[in-house]
Amino acid sequence: MSKVAIDMPPKGGFSFDLCKRNDMLVKNGLKMPSFLKTGTTIVGLIFQDGVILGADTRATEGPIVADKNCEKIHYIAPNIYCCGAGTAADTEAVTDMISSQLTLHRYHTGRESRVVTALSLLKSHLFNYQGHVSAALVLGGVDITGPHLHTIYPHGSTDTLPYATMGSGSLAAMAIFESKYREGLTRDEGVELVAEAIRSGIFNDLGSGSNVDICVLTKGHKEYLRNHETPNPRTYVSEKGYSFSKKTEILLTKITPLVEKIEIIEGGDAMEE
Amino acid sequence: MGDSQYSFSLTTFSPSGKLVQIEHALTAVGSGQTSLGIKASNGVVIATEKKLPSILVDEASVQKIQILTPNIGVVYSGMGPDSRVLVRKSRKQAEQYHRLYKEPIPVTQLVRETAAVMQEFTQSGGVRPFGVSLLVAGYDDKGPQLYQVDPSGSYFSWKASAMGKNVSNAKTFLEKRYTDDMELDDAVHTAILTLKEGFEGQISGKNIEIGIIGADKKFRVLTPSEIEDYLQEVE
Repeated sequence: MSKVAIDMPPKGGFSFDLCKRNDMLVKNGLKMPSFLKTGTTIVGLIFQDGVILGADTRATEGPIVADKNCEKIHYIAPNIYCCGAGTAADTEAVTDMISSQLTLHRYHTGRESRVVTALSLLKSHLFNYQGHVSAALVLGGVDITGPHLHTIYPHGSTDTLPYATMGSGSLAAMAIFESKYREGLTRDEGVELVAEAIRSGIFNDLGSGSNVDICVLTKGHKEYLRNHETPNPRTYVSEKGYSFSKKTEILLTKITPLVEKIEIIEGGDAMEE
Repeated sequence: MGDSQYSFSLTTFSPSGKLVQIEHALTAVGSGQTSLGIKASNGVVIATEKKLPSILVDEASVQKIQILTPNIGVVYSGMGPDSRVLVRKSRKQAEQYHRLYKEPIPVTQLVRETAAVMQEFTQSGGVRPFGVSLLVAGYDDKGPQLYQVDPSGSYFSWKASAMGKNVSNAKTFLEKRYTDDMELDDAVHTAILTLKEGFEGQISGKNIEIGIIGADKKFRVLTPSEIEDYLQEVE
């Protein structure tokens, strides 16, 4: 087939053009950069007036903590929020995309978005990519039909539950939920239980750490409690500051601000057309 | 008319240098219901007649003024179904802009993209121009703005404009009444008076539609009872 002169617009989705090149590079000894995984403990539970979502704030890149205070609770709609575990870029991109689609949907229908709509959009997207989009999500919100809480796995399967945990710290958090959850919790009891579950993940799982983020969703109202608890403050800070050995060269930096040179030409001729 | 030989095909110029299909599209707009917009110092108001074909039509289900983004709204004169297509495309473009740049789309950008769509349909095969003119009202960092977009794809910023059946009377009325330091409430009153000029029958909250955007940058369509309040103030 001859090379077509017209440039076809890309149809969307992944382009696998560079795969052969990447294989060749790996065979020649190149080490592929690893991607940022969130490790993570994310949880959600339904209480008497709505849904509470919770997450830790550590993002890891292998054995290194890449971000000590990242945001894992993502906005989907004014009444729907989503916690994300897995590859940070995947969770952010997929929640952003579905949030955009739901905004358009709201304009066309003139109605508040439903949690099941977000659920269907997310699961069909993840299924289309056969698990290669590594996003494990806890989706919660309150709509006209009531409070809802769902978990979504990277391959596209979903569960509907009264309380849920995901991520590497999910077992530690689920242990807390299984022993202390009951129906009809009040807001403060719910927030305390979620914070306890996240703390359990923070202290018992290496992939989770730093602070606790909480989001409380009720009918017509949302409360985003960023850094609701900070159980890992930096305790020892040396008051003396840092001193360097005598051999270190200290460069004296002089910063000269650049001044704009404005030339005023007296009686210049007007530009010719 | 010598032009009529060239009036069937959109993509052929007539000897006088016009695209006759676009002229016809403007005629379609000119026979549509009157709509107008006024830019005040602290906001913009757009309004239109809502004459329904029969008293049996459920007027609460008809909404001519549409919201494009939280701070931009639009009204049309001409063919309703054509305006629906443009509203849908504009909303999508505004949302795509927001996803890419994470800021609300500036009014000029959205108008430019909508106008580009309308122009596309004047230079492609097998399509016809849109039979609507749009009045886009928005409030962004540059303040309140009002734009009119025509079927040819040309757009202009206006301080006050009208389109549709009663356009010449409405524009004369607006020219007399418009002042640069008008506030949003005065603008709404002026809009109602302008609509009243050419209105056949009794004007009420149910047969006109008004959309406003103020310094709070939130576009909204007034409810029939709010319009009634304004009508009483005008009396």
